[in-house]
Amino acid sequence: MSAATTSPAKTAKVSTATKVSTATRRGPFSYSAERQPRAWLFLAPALFFIALFNVWPLIRIFVMAFQTNSLRRPKFAGADNFAFVVADPEFHTAIANTAVFAVVVVPMGMVISMAIALTLNGRMKGGRFFEALFFIPYLTSVIAIGIVFRYLLNGDYGVLNFLLGKVGIGPFDFLNDPRLNMAALLIFGVWSCLAFNIIIMLSGLRSINRNYYKVADMYGATGWQQLRRITLPQMIPMLTFLAIVNFINSFKVYTEVYALFNGKAGIGNSATTAVFYIFNKFYVDHKYGQGMAAGVLLFLLILAFTLLENALLKKLSK
Amino acid sequence: MKHIGLALRYVFIVAMAVITLFPFVYMLSGSLMTYQESTSIPPTLVPAHAQWGNFAEAMRQAPFARYFVNTVLVAGASTLGTMVTTVLAGFALTCLDFRFKKALMACLVALLMVPYEIVVFTNYSTIADLGLLDTYPALTLPSLASVFYIFYLTQYLTAVPRTYYNAAKVQGCGDLEFIWRIMLPMCRPALFTMGLLLFIGGWNNFLWPILVTNTTDMRLISNGLSAFASESGTAVQLQMAASAITIIPILILYAIFHKHIIEGVAQNGIKG
Repeated sequence: MSAATTSPAKTAKVSTATKVSTATRRGPFSYSAERQPRAWLFLAPALFFIALFNVWPLIRIFVMAFQTNSLRRPKFAGADNFAFVVADPEFHTAIANTAVFAVVVVPMGMVISMAIALTLNGRMKGGRFFEALFFIPYLTSVIAIGIVFRYLLNGDYGVLNFLLGKVGIGPFDFLNDPRLNMAALLIFGVWSCLAFNIIIMLSGLRSINRNYYKVADMYGATGWQQLRRITLPQMIPMLTFLAIVNFINSFKVYTEVYALFNGKAGIGNSATTAVFYIFNKFYVDHKYGQGMAAGVLLFLLILAFTLLENALLKKLSK
Repeated sequence: MKHIGLALRYVFIVAMAVITLFPFVYMLSGSLMTYQESTSIPPTLVPAHAQWGNFAEAMRQAPFARYFVNTVLVAGASTLGTMVTTVLAGFALTCLDFRFKKALMACLVALLMVPYEIVVFTNYSTIADLGLLDTYPALTLPSLASVFYIFYLTQYLTAVPRTYYNAAKVQGCGDLEFIWRIMLPMCRPALFTMGLLLFIGGWNNFLWPILVTNTTDMRLISNGLSAFASESGTAVQLQMAASAITIIPILILYAIFHKHIIEGVAQNGIKG
């Protein structure tokens, strides 16, 4: 075995310090870097599928975005697809709706989740039980819940309209009035996003050092002061992470729309989103090039946010 | 003063819990109503007589049993496949040294940023090129490996000291034997959580099956349900029954394993 040639006694005498350190750290029987090419054998199955279904499709998006819409005999189309998509009023609606969704759902969802997480984190009996309850929507099929929401939001016999009627508002035909379609989507969006936020926030709150609060109690700090001076500052990296994850997820909203409006994007596509636009272009209209051009734009947008997230988190963790 | 504060906290939490749970409760209640009850004004909250026949009727109108079997098969195969590829890759990345390891890790990290909702469309083209549309392989192949879970597992495995591997090696233990007899038992909790989350993800998968299936027989439960919702028109009570059929298995899994599931998600910030 080649490992035998570098016995500990020998390597200890070798003058180059680096060699000594790696050899002693790994022990005499370990293999050095280049000697375990069989690692690729173990990686092969995973890498095969990753290459075929993660890397290749990514390259293909960029290829198809610059080609004509034909699948069989695509020709190079230059930036035509991008020009079309950027000028397409429907794409404008999609981006505007996606932006509205992000701007409304993310802050509302974060504030409500934070209120719930802070309340649960206090000395409250049954906290774990409620935590488990609040998490249920994260695991259940968006389609199934969307169907229930269609029922709840129904303009004629929906429970929400009944309740609103009790306080003298409405009725609102959330599903059939194009002006209200986005409102329906936003309600569904806020409701759906709480589960994940609460779980992550609770795990963040629990990781704050208890001693901070003990000291604060000793000096007579009120609950409000503790929240402002201890809890929130400690939570900032996690809240930043959550906010950006939520933003990125808002850009990818699709199934919620499909479920709520029965496979359409609201009346007259009034609640269309970026991914829905791509889906329609690609799957319904067979305009592959245009769909993928929109895909490239969305990808770059998400990438920008992801990089921003990494940069922010790096800065905050310092 | 303190009591009032505590009471207010409970009021708030209970109110939010009601808002969170109401859709589920109403779904179950609605699934047992008559059509008249389900569309009455003011809304019926609890049916006078539980109409269990709604479930049979929904199952009769659409092949939910078939959807169910399809989903169990596809989600099960994806889960198993991903676990195998992930364990092998995790072993290589934590126990072995090889050229370009750092570069490979960097590439994988970069791949984490690629949104699934975008590559799913070009994956459809790939599956179409392979002539696999509307088959079980089409439903399963793209989810047989996961960059995310490779990181999930390697993070867990880096806590297992390399010396274990070296010691096993000295004793003449082969790589596969090491994986099977030492690595797997050591990371059983992580694998268990991973399996649960993968299966639930597979169960709820919607965008992919709707793209690659055309025939009713190949649908998974989520897209079968969405098709049923448009075909059944205004039969709300049947839609509720069908939704309940879709959700109940996951609720049962969650009721049993909620600790693992919550911990797994909280530790890794999974969203998907």
